Amino acid sequence: MSHRIARPCGCLEYSQLSRRGFLGTSGAALAAAAIPAWLPKVVLAGDATSRDSLVVVFLRGGMDGLTAVAPYGDPNYYAPDLRPALAIAPPGSANGAIDLNGFFGFAPALAPLLPAYQAGDLAVIHATGSPDPTRSHFDAMSYMEFGIPLQPLNTVSGWLARHLLSVPPLAANNPLRGVMVDDLLPRSLAGAPNTLPIADPAGFSFPGRSISAQIRAGVIDADYLDATQPLASAAMNTIDTIDLLQTIDFANYLPANGAVYPTSGFGMALKSIAALLKADVGVEVAEADLGGWDTHAQQGPLTGELAGLMTDLAGSLAAFHLDMQARLGNVTLVVMSEFGRRADQNSSLGTDHGHGNCMFVLGGNVAGGRVIADWTSGELLHPDLLYGGDSLAVTIDYRDILAEILQTRLQNNALDVVFPNYTPTFRGVIG
Amino acid sequence: MKLEPTENVTLPPTTIEETPTAAPRRVSRRWLIGGALSALGGGCASPVNPLAAESELDTLVAGGALGSDPSSLPREGGAADTQAGLPPQGIDGGVFSPPVDAVLRLVNRITFGYSRAEYQAASALGYTAYLEQQLNPQTIDDSQMAPRLAAFDTLTMTSQQIFDTYRNTSNVPVQQLVLASIVRQTFSKRQLLERMVEFWSDHFNIDILDEQCRFLKLADDRDVIRVHALGKFPDLLRASARSAAMLFYLDNYINVAGSAQENYAREVCELHTMGVNGGYTQQDVQEIARCFTGWTFRGGASGQFGTFFFNAAQHDNGPKTVLGVSIPAGGGVNDGEAVISILASHPSTANFIARKLTALFLGYNPDPSLVARVAQTYAATNGDIKSMLRVILDRKPITQLLTPKLKRPTHHMAALLRAMNAIVTNPQPLATRLDRMGQRPFHWPAPNGYPDSLGAWGSNLLPRWQTVVDLIENRVSGTQIDAFGLFESQGGTAPGQAGRAINRLLTGGALSAAAEAAIQSVYDAPTGSQLGRTRDAFGVAASMQGYQWY
Repeated sequence: MSHRIARPCGCLEYSQLSRRGFLGTSGAALAAAAIPAWLPKVVLAGDATSRDSLVVVFLRGGMDGLTAVAPYGDPNYYAPDLRPALAIAPPGSANGAIDLNGFFGFAPALAPLLPAYQAGDLAVIHATGSPDPTRSHFDAMSYMEFGIPLQPLNTVSGWLARHLLSVPPLAANNPLRGVMVDDLLPRSLAGAPNTLPIADPAGFSFPGRSISAQIRAGVIDADYLDATQPLASAAMNTIDTIDLLQTIDFANYLPANGAVYPTSGFGMALKSIAALLKADVGVEVAEADLGGWDTHAQQGPLTGELAGLMTDLAGSLAAFHLDMQARLGNVTLVVMSEFGRRADQNSSLGTDHGHGNCMFVLGGNVAGGRVIADWTSGELLHPDLLYGGDSLAVTIDYRDILAEILQTRLQNNALDVVFPNYTPTFRGVIG
Repeated sequence: MKLEPTENVTLPPTTIEETPTAAPRRVSRRWLIGGALSALGGGCASPVNPLAAESELDTLVAGGALGSDPSSLPREGGAADTQAGLPPQGIDGGVFSPPVDAVLRLVNRITFGYSRAEYQAASALGYTAYLEQQLNPQTIDDSQMAPRLAAFDTLTMTSQQIFDTYRNTSNVPVQQLVLASIVRQTFSKRQLLERMVEFWSDHFNIDILDEQCRFLKLADDRDVIRVHALGKFPDLLRASARSAAMLFYLDNYINVAGSAQENYAREVCELHTMGVNGGYTQQDVQEIARCFTGWTFRGGASGQFGTFFFNAAQHDNGPKTVLGVSIPAGGGVNDGEAVISILASHPSTANFIARKLTALFLGYNPDPSLVARVAQTYAATNGDIKSMLRVILDRKPITQLLTPKLKRPTHHMAALLRAMNAIVTNPQPLATRLDRMGQRPFHWPAPNGYPDSLGAWGSNLLPRWQTVVDLIENRVSGTQIDAFGLFESQGGTAPGQAGRAINRLLTGGALSAAAEAAIQSVYDAPTGSQLGRTRDAFGVAASMQGYQWY
C-alpha cells in the first residue's frame, strides 16, 4: 500500500476517517424504547433487515462426517473391512443413529440438532467438500477458505473477505462488518474490510487513564495511518469498535427462550455472536471455530473425544437456534470442515485424512429437514466409488452451498469474485 | 469511550488479574485455532508464493492499496519480488525504519527485545564477538537464572517424577513450563538460544494440553528442543521422533502394523522436514507410517514413563520404499531410523529449514540467494544450525537484507519488560496477558506451531495496547516497572525531552522524529500528574506501530 495516506484516499477504510466523530460519539444514536436491559444503547444500523447476517463455523482438523451423519442405508457402511469398530449402528439399535430420512442418521451425540432439523431450519449436505485432493490440513484449509480449490495458491484473500468487498456495507461507516470470535483471523477473512478478531467482546476496552484516553487514542490512531496493512486498518477499526461495543452489555446478555449455551469456548463464542447480531451494530459476517477434529486415534464416536466434540457442537448450535428464533429469518449459519476422514478405520481405532464430508446449514430461510446428497445408487461407499480408493467422494462442491447462500440471502451478485473460475450449481439449500 | 475496568483505581494489583489457574479459553484439546491465518490477513489482499505462504510483508508493502473493486485483487508475480525492500521511511509519524547501527540491528534481531544493558554489552564486545557469544550460550554466565527458575521443580524432573508428583494436579507442570519460558525469554542472557528454543518449539509443535503431554512436554522441551536448539538438525529431528510427547501428540505411540496410521508420518514430512511441496507422495506417507509402526513409549506404571520403546511385536516388518529408497524387510527399529536419515538428508529439507531460519531473523520474504547459501551450508555441514546462523546473521545480511518483522506477542511483552527493567516476582499474570494476545507458550493446538507472519498477528492490536499500558501502570500483579525513574534518569523531565527519552529507553532511538513528537504531546497534555502523564507517554509509545516491529 501507499505509505503516504492523504485523507481521504481511495481506500475504503480510510475514507471513513473524515467522517468519524472521533471517539465517544457513537452513543449519540440511542433507541430509547423497548430495549432489553443488557442492551442499554442501540446503535441503529442501516437497513438491518435487508439481508441476512452470515455465521460461519469451521471445524478444524477434519470432522468425521461418516460418524456425524451416518449413511446407515449404504450397505457398504457396515462392511467388515471398513470401520467395524466405528460405524454408527442403524436406527433402532442400541446407540443407533437418529434417523433423518430413512437413509442417513445423526450420531447420537448430535441429538440436540434434531429440533432444528424437524422444524425445517437445518439442512444437511453430504458427500460435499472441496474438490482439491490435498490431504494436508493446512493446504486444505487454505484452498477452502481462500475459496480457490484446484487453483494455484496465489489468491490469499478469503472468500468471506471478497464477499464483504463485493457488497455495500449493511450499515454505513461500520468499523465491524466482520468479526472472528478468537485471537486471530481465519483465512476466510484474510483481507476483509473492517474486520477484527475479538476473542472477548466484553473486554474490548481502551486501557489506561480516562482523563487522557481521547488524547492517547487520537495519537495512536494517527500514528497507524501510514502503517503497513493490516495494522493501519486494524488500528482504526479497533478504536472505532471500542466505541461500538461499549453499547452492548455482554456480561448481562440473557439469551432468549431459555436457551442455554454450553460453557465451552465455542458455546461462549456463539453466544457472543448472538448478542452482536441482536444488537444490530451492522455485523455482516461472523465466524467461530471449533477445533479438535483430527481424530487419528481412538476417536470415540459414542463416548470418546469425537462424541464430546459433537456434543459441544450440537449443544451450541441448538442454543443459538433457540436464542435466535425471533430473528431466524435474518441469519444463516453454515458449518464446514477442511476435509472428511478416511472411510476405513486405522489400526488405532481412528481415521486418517480423507476427502468428502458433510456440511450443515441453519437458518430461517433454509430448506431444512432434508439431507441433500448425491449418493450414487445408494452405495457411494462401494469400494469402486470411493475417492482415491479409500475416502468418501465429493459430489457437491462446497462452493455450491456457500454461493447459493451468498446470492439468495446476502444479495451478493458477484459470485465470480467470491469464487473465481468457478460456476456454482445451486442445490436448493435455501428454499 | 469504554475503558478497561481498572482505570483510575488504586486497588491492590492482585484484584486485577485473573486467578492463577486461568482456565484456557480453548475448549478442545487440539486445533481450536488451528486454522488461524498462517498466510495473510488484514486489509490488503496480496500475491504470495505458495512456498512462501508465511511471507507477506514485502508483498503487502508493495501490494497496492486495497481498492473497492475486488476484481482488482492482485495475483501472483506482482510486486512480491521487491526483495528486501524496506518500507519508505520517516513519513508522517513513521513507518518502521531499522536502526543504522549494525550492533543495534543484531540485538533487535536475535533477542527478545532491545534493552540498554543488552545493547551496551553487545557494543562493548563488538558485532562478531557478541554474535559468537550468543551462538555459544554455554560461554555466557547465566547463573542469575537459577534463582528465577528455582520455584519450578518440574524443570529438572523426569517424566516419571512429574507424573508421580503431579498426576492429579497436571496443571502444575503445564504452568511451570509456560512461566519458565516467559522468565527465560525475558531475563536470560542467552537470548539467541531462547529465540531458537521458541522457533523449534513451534517447528516441532506439541500442544501441552494434549492429555499426557501435560507430563511429557517438559522432557521434550529440555532434552529435545533446548539441547539441540543450536546443534545439528538431524539430531534434533531424531530426538523429536523418539520424544514421548511427540509420539503421543501425533499419535505414533499407537501406530501399529495392520493399517498404519499416518498422523506423524505426514506431519514429519510436511512440517518438520520437506515442506508440503517438498516432493513426497501419499504413498510415501503411508510407507513412512509403516516404518514407524511400533515406535512408542513406556507408560506411567512402568516406572520409566516417557522412555522411548520400540515394540517389535507391533512393527510392520515387510519391505518398504520411501522417497525411492528401498528399505528391506526385517529392519525393525532401523526402518524409522532410515526414514529420519532419508528425510534429514533430502534437499527439500535443507531448503525448507534454510528458508524458515532465514525468515526468522531477516524478514518474512527472505532473499532467495541467501536462502540458497544457507541450504548449501545445511548440506555441507550435515545440518549444523550454528553454521547456518552464521551465514544468516553475518554483518552483511543484517545490514543489507533486513526487512521489518512484527513482534509476536511473547516478543512484544518480553521486549517491554526488558526495556523497562521490570521486576517480576510472579509471572503468572504475564501468561494471562499472552493468552489474551493469542500466544500462551506451548498452547497452540495444531501441529504447525504459532505462525510467524504479519497477517496472523497484525489485526489483534487491542490486547497489545492493553498489555503494555497495564504493565507500565503497574496494574499487572507480580510485575513492577519504575517508568518514572527510568524517564528521569534519561532526562525526560526536561522541557521537550520526553519523547526522545522514551524513544531511547524503549528502542535505542529507533522510533521516528514524528513519533517522538507525538509521544511528547501526550506527555505535555494537561492531563494531571507528572507520573500519570509519563506513564501515558510510555504507553502510547509502546502501542505505536513503530514499537510493534523489530
